[in-house]
Amino acid sequence: MKLTTDILKKMVRSVQMTTQQEIGCGECFEQLEQFAGMKLKGKAPEEAMPLVQDHLKKCNDCREEYEALLDAMEELGNPA
Amino acid sequence: MINWFKKRRSKDTSYDTNEAWIRALSEPVDEKAVEILREKLIRGLKPALHKYVDRELDQFVEDVAQDALLKVLDNIDSFRGDSKLLTWAMKIAVREGLTELRLKRYDDISINDLKYDDDSEVFSMRVATDQPQPDRLAHESQLIEKMMTIIEDELTDKQQTAIRLLMIKDLSVTVVAKQMDTNRNALYKLVHDARLKLKNRFKLEGIDPDEMLNTL
Repeated sequence: MKLTTDILKKMVRSVQMTTQQEIGCGECFEQLEQFAGMKLKGKAPEEAMPLVQDHLKKCNDCREEYEALLDAMEELGNPA
Repeated sequence: MINWFKKRRSKDTSYDTNEAWIRALSEPVDEKAVEILREKLIRGLKPALHKYVDRELDQFVEDVAQDALLKVLDNIDSFRGDSKLLTWAMKIAVREGLTELRLKRYDDISINDLKYDDDSEVFSMRVATDQPQPDRLAHESQLIEKMMTIIEDELTDKQQTAIRLLMIKDLSVTVVAKQMDTNRNALYKLVHDARLKLKNRFKLEGIDPDEMLNTL
Protein backbone atom coordinates (compact mmCIF):
# COMPACT_ATOMS: atom_id res chain seq x y z
CA MET A 1 0.00 0.00 0.00
CA LYS A 2 1.19 3.46 -0.77
CA LEU A 3 0.51 6.49 1.34
CA THR A 4 -1.23 9.01 -0.84
CA THR A 5 -1.56 12.72 -0.53
CA ASP A 6 -5.26 12.17 0.08
CA ILE A 7 -4.55 10.03 3.12
CA LEU A 8 -2.13 12.64 4.45
CA LYS A 9 -4.80 15.29 3.96
CA LYS A 10 -7.31 13.13 5.79
CA MET A 11 -4.89 12.71 8.69
CA VAL A 12 -4.09 16.40 8.91
CA ARG A 13 -7.79 17.32 8.75
CA SER A 14 -8.61 14.91 11.54
CA VAL A 15 -5.87 16.45 13.69
CA GLN A 16 -7.08 19.92 12.81
CA MET A 17 -10.65 19.08 13.87
CA THR A 18 -9.60 17.51 17.17
CA THR A 19 -10.84 19.21 20.31
CA GLN A 20 -10.08 18.50 23.92
CA GLN A 21 -13.65 17.64 24.75
CA GLU A 22 -15.13 14.98 22.49
CA ILE A 23 -17.64 12.31 23.31
CA GLY A 24 -17.23 8.68 22.25
CA CYS A 25 -19.59 6.46 20.28
CA GLY A 26 -21.20 5.21 23.49
CA GLU A 27 -22.20 8.64 24.74
CA CYS A 28 -23.34 9.60 21.27
CA PHE A 29 -25.50 6.50 21.03
CA GLU A 30 -27.06 7.23 24.42
CA GLN A 31 -28.22 10.62 23.22
CA LEU A 32 -28.94 9.81 19.60
CA GLU A 33 -32.71 9.34 19.91
CA GLN A 34 -33.01 12.69 21.65
CA PHE A 35 -30.90 14.35 18.96
CA ALA A 36 -32.93 12.70 16.18
CA GLY A 37 -36.19 13.53 17.93
CA MET A 38 -35.31 17.21 18.01
CA LYS A 39 -34.27 17.15 14.37
CA LEU A 40 -37.54 15.52 13.34
CA LYS A 41 -39.49 18.13 15.27
CA GLY A 42 -37.69 20.87 13.35
CA LYS A 43 -35.69 22.03 16.36
CA ALA A 44 -31.95 22.61 16.24
CA PRO A 45 -30.18 19.74 18.01
CA GLU A 46 -26.85 20.98 16.63
CA GLU A 47 -27.10 23.96 18.97
CA ALA A 48 -28.64 22.17 21.91
CA MET A 49 -26.32 19.16 21.77
CA PRO A 50 -23.05 20.36 20.21
CA LEU A 51 -20.98 17.42 21.43
CA VAL A 52 -23.27 14.95 19.70
CA GLN A 53 -23.17 17.08 16.56
CA ASP A 54 -19.37 17.17 16.74
CA HIS A 55 -19.18 13.40 17.14
CA LEU A 56 -21.51 12.82 14.21
CA LYS A 57 -19.23 14.96 12.07
CA LYS A 58 -16.20 12.91 13.03
CA CYS A 59 -17.56 9.36 13.21
CA ASN A 60 -18.83 7.80 9.97
CA ASP A 61 -20.51 4.84 11.65
CA CYS A 62 -22.49 6.97 14.08
CA ARG A 63 -23.44 9.40 11.33
CA GLU A 64 -24.63 6.53 9.15
CA GLU A 65 -26.76 5.24 12.02
CA TYR A 66 -28.19 8.69 12.69
CA GLU A 67 -29.16 9.16 9.05
CA ALA A 68 -30.72 5.69 8.89
CA LEU A 69 -32.66 6.46 12.07
CA LEU A 70 -34.05 9.63 10.50
CA ASP A 71 -35.07 7.67 7.38
CA ALA A 72 -36.80 5.06 9.52
CA MET A 73 -38.68 7.58 11.63
CA GLU A 74 -39.77 9.53 8.58
CA GLU A 75 -41.23 6.34 7.17
CA LEU A 76 -43.25 5.94 10.37
CA GLY A 77 -44.72 9.40 9.99
CA ASN A 78 -42.11 11.17 12.05
CA PRO A 79 -43.48 10.26 15.49
CA ALA A 80 -40.43 11.51 17.35
CA MET B 1 -65.37 -6.80 9.50
CA ILE B 2 -66.21 -3.56 11.26
CA ASN B 3 -65.34 -5.17 14.57
CA TRP B 4 -62.02 -6.27 13.15
CA PHE B 5 -61.21 -2.69 12.14
CA LYS B 6 -62.28 -1.43 15.52
CA LYS B 7 -60.08 -3.99 17.21
CA ARG B 8 -57.13 -3.09 15.00
CA ARG B 9 -57.63 0.56 15.70
CA SER B 10 -57.85 0.20 19.41
CA LYS B 11 -54.82 -2.10 19.36
CA ASP B 12 -52.74 0.39 17.38
CA THR B 13 -53.61 3.37 19.52
CA SER B 14 -53.23 1.74 22.87
CA TYR B 15 -49.48 2.37 23.06
CA ASP B 16 -49.38 6.05 22.32
CA THR B 17 -47.42 7.08 25.35
CA ASN B 18 -44.04 6.00 26.63
CA GLU B 19 -45.68 4.90 29.87
CA ALA B 20 -48.00 2.57 27.99
CA TRP B 21 -45.14 1.11 25.99
CA ILE B 22 -42.96 0.60 29.05
CA ARG B 23 -45.80 -1.09 30.88
CA ALA B 24 -46.51 -3.33 27.90
CA LEU B 25 -42.89 -4.26 27.27
CA SER B 26 -41.99 -4.92 30.90
CA GLU B 27 -42.68 -8.25 32.58
CA PRO B 28 -45.20 -9.71 32.11
CA VAL B 29 -44.74 -8.69 28.48
CA ASP B 30 -47.82 -7.85 26.43
CA GLU B 31 -47.40 -9.94 23.28
CA LYS B 32 -49.64 -7.60 21.28
CA ALA B 33 -47.32 -4.70 22.04
CA VAL B 34 -44.31 -6.75 21.00
CA GLU B 35 -45.98 -7.60 17.72
CA ILE B 36 -46.89 -3.98 17.02
CA LEU B 37 -43.38 -2.85 17.81
CA ARG B 38 -41.95 -5.58 15.59
CA GLU B 39 -44.12 -4.42 12.69
CA LYS B 40 -43.07 -0.83 13.18
CA LEU B 41 -39.39 -1.75 13.34
CA ILE B 42 -39.69 -3.71 10.12
CA ARG B 43 -41.51 -0.87 8.40
CA GLY B 44 -38.88 1.67 9.46
CA LEU B 45 -35.87 -0.53 8.81
CA LYS B 46 -36.72 -1.12 5.15
CA PRO B 47 -36.14 2.43 3.92
CA ALA B 48 -33.32 2.88 6.44
CA LEU B 49 -31.31 -0.10 5.25
CA HIS B 50 -32.36 -0.71 1.67
CA LYS B 51 -29.36 1.05 0.16
CA TYR B 52 -26.98 -1.20 2.08
CA VAL B 53 -28.66 -4.52 1.30
CA ASP B 54 -28.41 -5.88 -2.21
CA ARG B 55 -30.72 -8.88 -1.82
CA GLU B 56 -33.30 -10.44 0.46
CA LEU B 57 -34.00 -7.16 2.20
CA ASP B 58 -37.28 -8.41 3.69
CA GLN B 59 -35.70 -11.42 5.36
CA PHE B 60 -32.73 -9.43 6.58
CA VAL B 61 -34.93 -6.71 8.05
CA GLU B 62 -37.14 -9.27 9.79
CA ASP B 63 -34.11 -10.92 11.38
CA VAL B 64 -32.73 -7.56 12.48
CA ALA B 65 -36.08 -6.53 13.94
CA GLN B 66 -36.25 -9.78 15.89
CA ASP B 67 -32.75 -9.34 17.34
CA ALA B 68 -33.46 -5.70 18.12
CA LEU B 69 -36.70 -6.61 19.88
CA LEU B 70 -34.83 -8.92 22.23
CA LYS B 71 -32.42 -6.10 23.04
CA VAL B 72 -35.28 -3.67 23.59
CA LEU B 73 -36.98 -6.08 25.98
CA ASP B 74 -33.73 -6.78 27.81
CA ASN B 75 -32.96 -3.09 28.19
CA ILE B 76 -36.39 -1.59 28.69
CA ASP B 77 -35.36 -0.53 32.22
CA SER B 78 -32.60 1.65 30.79
CA PHE B 79 -34.96 3.70 28.60
CA ARG B 80 -34.72 7.21 30.03
CA GLY B 81 -37.66 8.76 28.23
CA ASP B 82 -35.63 11.41 26.38
CA SER B 83 -37.63 10.65 23.24
CA LYS B 84 -40.54 8.53 22.13
CA LEU B 85 -39.90 4.89 22.98
CA LEU B 86 -40.27 4.01 19.33
CA THR B 87 -37.37 6.29 18.38
CA TRP B 88 -35.21 4.66 21.05
CA ALA B 89 -36.18 1.16 19.88
CA MET B 90 -35.57 2.11 16.26
CA LYS B 91 -32.12 3.44 17.18
CA ILE B 92 -31.28 0.02 18.61
CA ALA B 93 -32.63 -1.73 15.51
CA VAL B 94 -30.76 0.53 13.09
CA ARG B 95 -27.47 -0.05 14.89
CA GLU B 96 -28.14 -3.79 14.98
CA GLY B 97 -28.71 -3.87 11.23
CA LEU B 98 -25.83 -1.65 10.21
CA THR B 99 -23.41 -3.43 12.55
CA GLU B 100 -24.31 -6.77 11.04
CA LEU B 101 -23.89 -5.43 7.52
CA ARG B 102 -20.52 -3.86 8.28
CA LEU B 103 -19.19 -7.02 9.90
CA LYS B 104 -20.52 -9.22 7.14
CA ARG B 105 -18.73 -7.08 4.57
CA TYR B 106 -15.43 -7.62 6.32
CA ASP B 107 -15.94 -11.21 7.40
CA ASP B 108 -12.90 -12.45 5.59
CA ILE B 109 -10.46 -9.94 6.96
CA SER B 110 -8.43 -10.98 9.98
CA ILE B 111 -6.49 -8.65 12.21
CA ASN B 112 -3.31 -10.45 11.23
CA ASP B 113 -3.87 -9.73 7.58
CA LEU B 114 -4.52 -6.12 8.40
CA LYS B 115 -1.66 -5.80 10.79
CA TYR B 116 1.16 -7.42 8.95
CA ASP B 117 0.39 -7.34 5.27
CA ASP B 118 2.17 -4.18 4.28
CA ASP B 119 3.20 -2.26 7.36
CA SER B 120 6.67 -1.76 6.05
CA GLU B 121 5.34 -0.01 2.97
CA VAL B 122 2.86 2.09 4.87
CA PHE B 123 5.57 3.38 7.10
CA SER B 124 8.18 3.69 4.44
CA MET B 125 6.21 6.80 3.49
CA ARG B 126 5.86 6.16 -0.15
CA VAL B 127 3.92 8.70 -2.09
CA ALA B 128 1.42 7.67 -4.71
CA THR B 129 0.35 10.54 -6.86
CA ASP B 130 -0.57 11.06 -10.47
CA GLN B 131 2.90 11.94 -11.59
CA PRO B 132 3.13 15.34 -10.03
CA GLN B 133 5.93 17.78 -10.72
CA PRO B 134 9.23 16.68 -9.15
CA ASP B 135 9.34 19.63 -6.72
CA ARG B 136 5.77 19.00 -5.67
CA LEU B 137 6.53 15.33 -5.18
CA ALA B 138 9.53 16.18 -3.07
CA HIS B 139 7.46 18.55 -0.97
CA GLU B 140 4.72 15.97 -0.42
CA SER B 141 7.29 13.31 0.44
CA GLN B 142 8.77 15.62 3.03
CA LEU B 143 5.40 16.27 4.61
CA ILE B 144 4.53 12.59 4.65
CA GLU B 145 7.88 11.77 6.17
CA LYS B 146 7.35 14.40 8.82
CA MET B 147 3.88 13.09 9.61
CA MET B 148 5.10 9.53 9.89
CA THR B 149 7.97 10.52 12.17
CA ILE B 150 5.51 12.29 14.44
CA ILE B 151 3.18 9.29 14.43
CA GLU B 152 5.98 6.90 15.29
CA ASP B 153 7.34 9.19 18.03
CA GLU B 154 4.06 10.03 19.68
CA LEU B 155 1.67 7.13 19.31
CA THR B 156 1.58 3.74 20.99
CA ASP B 157 1.59 0.64 18.79
CA LYS B 158 -2.10 0.21 19.43
CA GLN B 159 -2.84 3.77 18.39
CA GLN B 160 -0.74 3.36 15.25
CA THR B 161 -2.63 0.20 14.36
CA ALA B 162 -5.97 1.94 14.88
CA ILE B 163 -4.95 4.95 12.79
CA ARG B 164 -3.67 2.69 10.05
CA LEU B 165 -6.84 0.61 9.89
CA LEU B 166 -9.21 3.56 10.09
CA MET B 167 -7.46 6.13 7.95
CA ILE B 168 -5.26 4.20 5.58
CA LYS B 169 -7.29 1.02 5.17
CA ASP B 170 -10.44 3.10 5.49
CA LEU B 171 -12.27 0.46 7.53
CA SER B 172 -15.28 1.32 9.65
CA VAL B 173 -15.02 1.86 13.39
CA THR B 174 -17.30 -1.13 13.93
CA VAL B 175 -15.01 -3.45 11.97
CA VAL B 176 -11.78 -2.14 13.49
CA ALA B 177 -13.19 -2.40 17.02
CA LYS B 178 -14.07 -6.03 16.36
CA GLN B 179 -10.69 -6.75 14.77
CA MET B 180 -8.85 -5.14 17.68
CA ASP B 181 -11.00 -6.96 20.19
CA THR B 182 -12.39 -3.80 21.74
CA ASN B 183 -15.57 -1.75 21.41
CA ARG B 184 -16.39 1.34 19.38
CA ASN B 185 -16.35 3.67 22.36
CA ALA B 186 -12.95 2.52 23.57
CA LEU B 187 -11.57 2.66 20.05
CA TYR B 188 -12.86 6.20 19.54
CA LYS B 189 -11.26 7.28 22.82
CA LEU B 190 -7.97 5.62 21.80
CA VAL B 191 -7.94 7.49 18.50
CA HIS B 192 -9.06 10.74 20.11
CA ASP B 193 -6.13 10.50 22.48
CA ALA B 194 -3.87 9.84 19.47
CA ARG B 195 -5.23 12.88 17.61
CA LEU B 196 -4.67 15.06 20.69
CA LYS B 197 -1.06 13.90 20.89
CA LEU B 198 -0.53 14.71 17.22
CA LYS B 199 -2.18 18.09 17.63
CA ASN B 200 0.07 18.96 20.57
CA ARG B 201 3.15 17.86 18.67
CA PHE B 202 2.06 19.97 15.68
CA LYS B 203 1.82 22.94 18.01
CA LEU B 204 5.25 22.27 19.53
CA GLU B 205 6.78 22.04 16.08
CA GLY B 206 4.98 25.13 14.84
CA ILE B 207 3.08 23.18 12.19
CA ASP B 208 -0.10 24.89 11.08
CA PRO B 209 -2.57 22.29 9.72
CA ASP B 210 -4.31 24.91 7.53
CA GLU B 211 -1.04 25.90 5.98
CA MET B 212 -0.07 22.28 5.46
CA LEU B 213 -3.37 21.52 3.75
CA ASN B 214 -2.98 24.52 1.49
CA THR B 215 0.34 23.26 0.22
CA LEU B 216 -0.94 19.75 -0.56
